[in-house]
Amino acid sequence: MVLSYGHNAFSSDSMRRLLVERNADDAVFGHFGAAAGYALAARRGMHSFRTGPETWKHIAVGQRKWANLNPVATMYERTMTFDDYYNARWVVAPFRLLDNCLMTDGGRAIVITSAERARDLRHPPVLIMGMGQHNPAYDVHQATHLTGPTGAKKAGEMALTMAGITIEDIDACEIYDCFTYTVEITLQDYGFFGPGEGQDWFRGGTIEPGGGMPVNTSGGQLSEAYYMGLTPLSEAAMQLMGRCGRRQLGPTTNTKSPAVILCSDTGGILQTHTCIILRRP
Amino acid sequence: MVDYNKPLPNVNQDSKEFWTGCKVHELRFQKCKDCGHIRWPASMICPLCYSRDTQWIVASGKGKVYTFVVYHVAYHPGFKDDVPYVVAVVELEEGPHLLTNIVGCKPDEVRCDMPVEVTWEDITEEFSLPQFRPIS
Repeated sequence: MVLSYGHNAFSSDSMRRLLVERNADDAVFGHFGAAAGYALAARRGMHSFRTGPETWKHIAVGQRKWANLNPVATMYERTMTFDDYYNARWVVAPFRLLDNCLMTDGGRAIVITSAERARDLRHPPVLIMGMGQHNPAYDVHQATHLTGPTGAKKAGEMALTMAGITIEDIDACEIYDCFTYTVEITLQDYGFFGPGEGQDWFRGGTIEPGGGMPVNTSGGQLSEAYYMGLTPLSEAAMQLMGRCGRRQLGPTTNTKSPAVILCSDTGGILQTHTCIILRRP
Repeated sequence: MVDYNKPLPNVNQDSKEFWTGCKVHELRFQKCKDCGHIRWPASMICPLCYSRDTQWIVASGKGKVYTFVVYHVAYHPGFKDDVPYVVAVVELEEGPHLLTNIVGCKPDEVRCDMPVEVTWEDITEEFSLPQFRPIS
């Protein structure tokens, strides 16, 4: 089976039109699109626990460092400092431009087959250890889960249970990162840190090359390319196969050689969530 | 009013009573006659107990800001002259969460849980918008 995604989102107006499509009577009040929906969630997060740009800058800058090691990343040649982050223009506050993911022309594909069939293939396979899904579904107006627990909590628990491991066994994460806050609330709900502890957890390069818990090692959707759930999933598979060149987890990037990588996908405005855990054979 | 260039409500069978109320500056919501839950958006059945037995009530128009954002980009030409403007979810005293605008203060003065009250913007002959302002 081939799982594929392709889009000319950057050069056409199809993604932009999709994002400002009318949702009920929201447009009457000037409310459009995904950035503002996630910004509503992020603002409530800032009220409920200690988060905000001080936390998100570590996500934007940390992922950019990975992109700078990835020749196919959109932002390969563009470095980012904390000052760059703070100086970026506002889009929908509390989000600045660099809290937002990219729009990309391109695509990704993953071949899925049985473990037995995979043994004969040219590349080493990666095994699916566990999967979980949870969909709170509520529209952003009515939602009270914007600050957690989002679908990530139950989906993560389901995936870990199926895999027969704990969060301590995860070597790296590839998180759906439509916005910086999405990465924080997802990792928080998976249990990597408590509410508001992200500001300390991310500090000091935790998710960067050389860090203790590498996250979005291609640059992610913020700095590599936006291919929906296939940005995180394809990167996890490539890392476990050892096909990542200068950004390869292990000695090359002064990180732990990965045996187990956790991936997430999020839909709507934190309305659907899937967690998939992959491992080396 | 004549050259109002922003999107207008899409009135349907469910939301008709709400927008009719807005025209006379009343915030009307459905209250379940069985379990008492006051709901929004309008719907045929109560999302908590599935009862179809419903009455419309008029809300006080008071509430607090649940969350809000500040638009610095106009995604529709009608909002070009409004940026920066505030879109918020207001939690009404009666319970429903309503997507709306905060007006009557600067965007950087808005806070979560700030007490607000409804204020009406008469946009066309047919429609008035419920927006909210800080309670002074």
